[in-house]
Amino acid sequence: FRLNIDGLLVYFPYDYIYPEQYSYMLELKRTLDARGHGVLEMPSGTGKTISLLSLIVAYQKAFPLEVTKLIYCSRTVPEIEKVTQHQIKSLSCLTQQLPGSGPLLQKEPLCRADSLRFGKEVDGKCHSLTASYIRAQRHSDPNMPVCRFYEEFDAVGRQVPLPAGIYNLDDLKDFGRRKGWCPYYLARYSILHANIVVYSYHYLLDPKIADLVSKELAKNSVVVFDEAHNIDNVCIDSMSVNITRRTLDRCQTNVDTLQNTIQKIKETDAAKLKEEYRRLVEGLKEANVARETDIYLSNPVLPDEILKEAVPGTIRTAEHFVGFLRRFMEYLKSRLRVQHVVQESTPQFLKDIFDKVCIDRKPLRFCAERLQSLLRTLEIADIADFSAVTLISNFATLVSTYSQGFTIIIEPFEDRTPTIANPVLHFSCMDPSIAIKPVFQRFQSVVITSGTLSPLDIYPKILDFRPVTMASFTMTLARTCLCPLIVGRGNDQVALSSKFETREDFAVIRNYGNLLLEMSAIVPDGIVAFFTSYVYMENIVASWYEQGILENIQRNKLIFIETPDAAETSMALEKYQEACENGRGAILLSVARGKVSEGIDFVHHFGRAVIMFGVPYVYTQSRILKARLEYLRDQFQIRENDFLTFDAMRHAAQCVGRAIRGKTDYGLMIFADKRYARADKRGKLPRWIQEHINDGSLNLTVDEAIQLSKHFLRQMAQPFRQEDQLGLSLLTLEQLESEEMLQKISQIAHQT
Amino acid sequence: MASLSEEVLLVVKKVRQRKQDGTLYLMAERIAWGPEGKDRFTVSHLYADIRCQKISPDGKAKIQLQLVLHTGESTTFHFSNESSALKDRDAAKELLQQLLPKFKKKANKELEEKNRMLQEDPVLFQLYKDLVVSQVISADEFWANRLGDINNTDPAPYNNKQEVGISGAFLADIRPQTDGCNGLRYNLTADIIESIFRTYPAVKQKYSENVPHNLTEKEFWTRFFQSHYFHRDRINTGTQDIFSECAKQDEKGLKSMVVQGVKNPLVDLLSLEDKTLDEGYGVSSGPPSTSNLNRSVKESSNAAIIKRFNHHSAMVLAAGSRKGETPTDQASETSSTDGNSRDSDFFQPPVRLQEAIEYEDLQRKNRPKTVALNLKKSDRYAHGPVPLLSQHYTTSQDIINSVNHIRHEMVNYKPNLTQVLSSTAATSAIAALSPGGVLMVAGAQQAINQMVPTEVQGELKHLYAAAGELLRHFWSCFPVNTPFLEEKLTGHLEEMLQTAYSKFHIWQTRRMMRKT
Repeated sequence: FRLNIDGLLVYFPYDYIYPEQYSYMLELKRTLDARGHGVLEMPSGTGKTISLLSLIVAYQKAFPLEVTKLIYCSRTVPEIEKVTQHQIKSLSCLTQQLPGSGPLLQKEPLCRADSLRFGKEVDGKCHSLTASYIRAQRHSDPNMPVCRFYEEFDAVGRQVPLPAGIYNLDDLKDFGRRKGWCPYYLARYSILHANIVVYSYHYLLDPKIADLVSKELAKNSVVVFDEAHNIDNVCIDSMSVNITRRTLDRCQTNVDTLQNTIQKIKETDAAKLKEEYRRLVEGLKEANVARETDIYLSNPVLPDEILKEAVPGTIRTAEHFVGFLRRFMEYLKSRLRVQHVVQESTPQFLKDIFDKVCIDRKPLRFCAERLQSLLRTLEIADIADFSAVTLISNFATLVSTYSQGFTIIIEPFEDRTPTIANPVLHFSCMDPSIAIKPVFQRFQSVVITSGTLSPLDIYPKILDFRPVTMASFTMTLARTCLCPLIVGRGNDQVALSSKFETREDFAVIRNYGNLLLEMSAIVPDGIVAFFTSYVYMENIVASWYEQGILENIQRNKLIFIETPDAAETSMALEKYQEACENGRGAILLSVARGKVSEGIDFVHHFGRAVIMFGVPYVYTQSRILKARLEYLRDQFQIRENDFLTFDAMRHAAQCVGRAIRGKTDYGLMIFADKRYARADKRGKLPRWIQEHINDGSLNLTVDEAIQLSKHFLRQMAQPFRQEDQLGLSLLTLEQLESEEMLQKISQIAHQT
Repeated sequence: MASLSEEVLLVVKKVRQRKQDGTLYLMAERIAWGPEGKDRFTVSHLYADIRCQKISPDGKAKIQLQLVLHTGESTTFHFSNESSALKDRDAAKELLQQLLPKFKKKANKELEEKNRMLQEDPVLFQLYKDLVVSQVISADEFWANRLGDINNTDPAPYNNKQEVGISGAFLADIRPQTDGCNGLRYNLTADIIESIFRTYPAVKQKYSENVPHNLTEKEFWTRFFQSHYFHRDRINTGTQDIFSECAKQDEKGLKSMVVQGVKNPLVDLLSLEDKTLDEGYGVSSGPPSTSNLNRSVKESSNAAIIKRFNHHSAMVLAAGSRKGETPTDQASETSSTDGNSRDSDFFQPPVRLQEAIEYEDLQRKNRPKTVALNLKKSDRYAHGPVPLLSQHYTTSQDIINSVNHIRHEMVNYKPNLTQVLSSTAATSAIAALSPGGVLMVAGAQQAINQMVPTEVQGELKHLYAAAGELLRHFWSCFPVNTPFLEEKLTGHLEEMLQTAYSKFHIWQTRRMMRKT
């Protein structure tokens, strides 16, 4: 039906609406109006995605000049699939309501870019068939192999607008197959023309890919990061580099190949190299012009300074450059030969490199660009093989460009295995804002949203931006369908905690086992239990096995356990669901921060209870983390403990939130660690969980928790009908328009 | 003696029962015992009545066999032949083991079925009371019609008993007990063995390969419990263990399960991430290069435990679901080896996705589709057939005409205020038109269910149902194409109807009497 959101007509594809959805849309509209950025937290399962899409599409329709494009970034593939489905729904609703404008909308298709998820090999092969010089060669020699799909596409595809109704990637593939066009290029092409682009974070945040895919996206787009609670880690990942000995070895062979090819070309076609040289002298003007005229999304790997200058003379000729690379590589090798851990900042590193092998900062900076150019000139088709040397050159550019926000750590061996030499050079980014900065700068509105973003104020801090709206929404509930319990003691009054000192304590492990055992007896269907780390889980499982606890649990439910192997875990997961499905009931033991905790939802009977054993602190002994904490303290005045707690709690919330995926769903949330009862931990949980934790559910013993859960489950098992919700947590249009309700709704959003 | 005609399968002499020597006979359908020198059985149990047999543990002085009946009673036989007591007992045990399961299922299924139906369906029970107990109709006849009916129409919920799955903890249930001198004793029942076989087909295979020829049953199980296969956390010590092969096979099964992948895209962790970080980038990338080599023994045993639990659960699950499938099905052939069986349609990605994104409570409920009753003349339906002659039909044309007429009149209507009704006439008209008034008799008629006391209603209902059942019998005889049906129709059905009618009559008069 149609809604009036602050003067904007929004088509909502359902008959009813949750009050918080309305409130969410209001806030979102405010953000768009102000052309600023926003941070919005809304509980999972309250229809975040659909309200977001409805509003922005409506906004697009109302102000086609101000908002041309919606770029929707999500994290996992199933998530993306879901969004596309939502999208189809909301669009089809729109076209139904407005028959006149229907065709117009459908003409601009929606597309998803995850076809880029080709393997490296395919990539290389593709490149070898479609690179421009190869195609040029083919004109003279028609016998060369060629990608039929690409040729077809190039010949006609660009002129023809995509037909209506192609919404997701499968459609696109089909379409491509019918027309004989390469779906990959089709997808990339249509990104530019689609009204709504749904893809994964990396296409926007990872400079290497963003350069290919996203740089031509229009400035007045709205960017949405959904499930953004981990966005800082994604940013950091995309900017960090690890160099091992193996990388260097591979790099060595790469460089050798380069050398040989250069030799060969020199003999046959010296003019080409000259041409390149000339081009380099002229500099990267083109890129500079482009950036200034603001056509492209700027690439954080390509710093501003180097655009204004020509490539320095020392690396201008091909041989020199290869020699330069070789020197740089040797230097890195020598650095890896250390016996003890070294940690230094980028200026230190640069100084050292200058002292030792006389490499200046400036040519280093150009390394990445220069290598690209060389590879182009040498017409080496299979670029996939050169990943190692590309990595090194990217590292060179990054290390010389940023004097802050990065650190270099060289570890001669892994901490757990001090006898085996496995030197690694970590070049790690500590400042997530570097990667995301171009996004904030370029796009007029960036919305960061998730079910668990608490505490909200930390995100603007670590991502370094200024939001115009920050809001956290609660869940309006007709019945309290979530029941957070903090179990702090065992039945024998032993304090339950996963903290380091009591980690090996048998009493704690036994009590944890007891908790799970008792729960398995009273909770129907599925239980998911999360441990703080994989090692911890292994230990606990082993000692539960020895104590016979697992056997007793098996009497009640089947047990499935996450393993480090993703394929095995998927199988376990599927079996778990099957067991829940056929009524036998099952327990899934899993790890916070693991794949399961991040990407799998346990709707309804798949997760009637979540037990969080311990507080999922990150492994604090890692040097990278330490460096990052230090940086955060110095740069953003965030205390180490604050950040660690924040990080632990967001993961705990994430795990626990997996079970509640909607208002008809219900589930127990058991925090089995006495530290959760403290105000500083509790206060960092999302508001929608926090408000259900009352004093009666703090620091319970196992028995008390069982009693409360029994009561809760019995209550929840009663039939729950739509009528019960209506007017409270579910509104019709008429109810929505009543004065009283609007009053109530305004309280839902909690501004910070 | 009736048992003379029975086939005697086994005779065991010198078996004591209640301190009395005698002979044990195992026959085709029952087990019996007669005291020495007498020509009759003092103990005789149908196999169908026996719930299970128990034997005394080896090494006990008395060699006994106990039969536990469904009723809870038990009978103990003591094999007292010094030389061959053990052999005798084992022979009897073996035979019983083969015979008992055959009878378990058969145990008077029909009667049970009837009983259950009567218990579940109170209406049927009442009908049964009305018709059979009061001897309007014979029980056989009552059921002949019923059972066939039910079995034909929807056999699924009644006949297909749900397969009993396997308890997840069946291995845990085998509680080893110490026998006093630092040894362990495991109690195995047929159920547990069945569970083990169903869950671990590899063990079954081993069993069938080895047991009669190479090992005795007892040895086999002893080895099983000693093997690291059972104690999976113990690291493989020797390869001469016959179960090491099983372990390998399991491993293979697990692997093939993994390779097969998952059909539900929402749980497939492999394709979860749109992984685009190249090797070498990222904070904590790089595979755990030191994976297997330097893992301590303890760690790898932990991993083995975890693996084992996953496998065990998967197999238990598969064992439960495997039975339901038809063995000829190609899919199940493969599934029985790796424990993967599934209705694949359900996991079609679009269906799953649709399910995942729908907010059911945001939508209006779709009412279940019903077929609208299409009545040409609804008043006929309400009143039943009426003699055609007395009815004055108005055609739709007439109605339209009259409506038009009235409308026409209303347009030209002018209130004539001088010639209105008198006030008394108006009140009486209103009174007549309001509920309870003369013209509103229909409204005043109270529902019949309020006027008649409930007990009368109940009785009437029963009579009605009984009559209906009889009528059903009556109509089911048509068309009359066999002499049996004809006989039934002319003979006792008429009689039955007569009885039913007279029963009704009696009830009626009784009611009348009571009223007056």
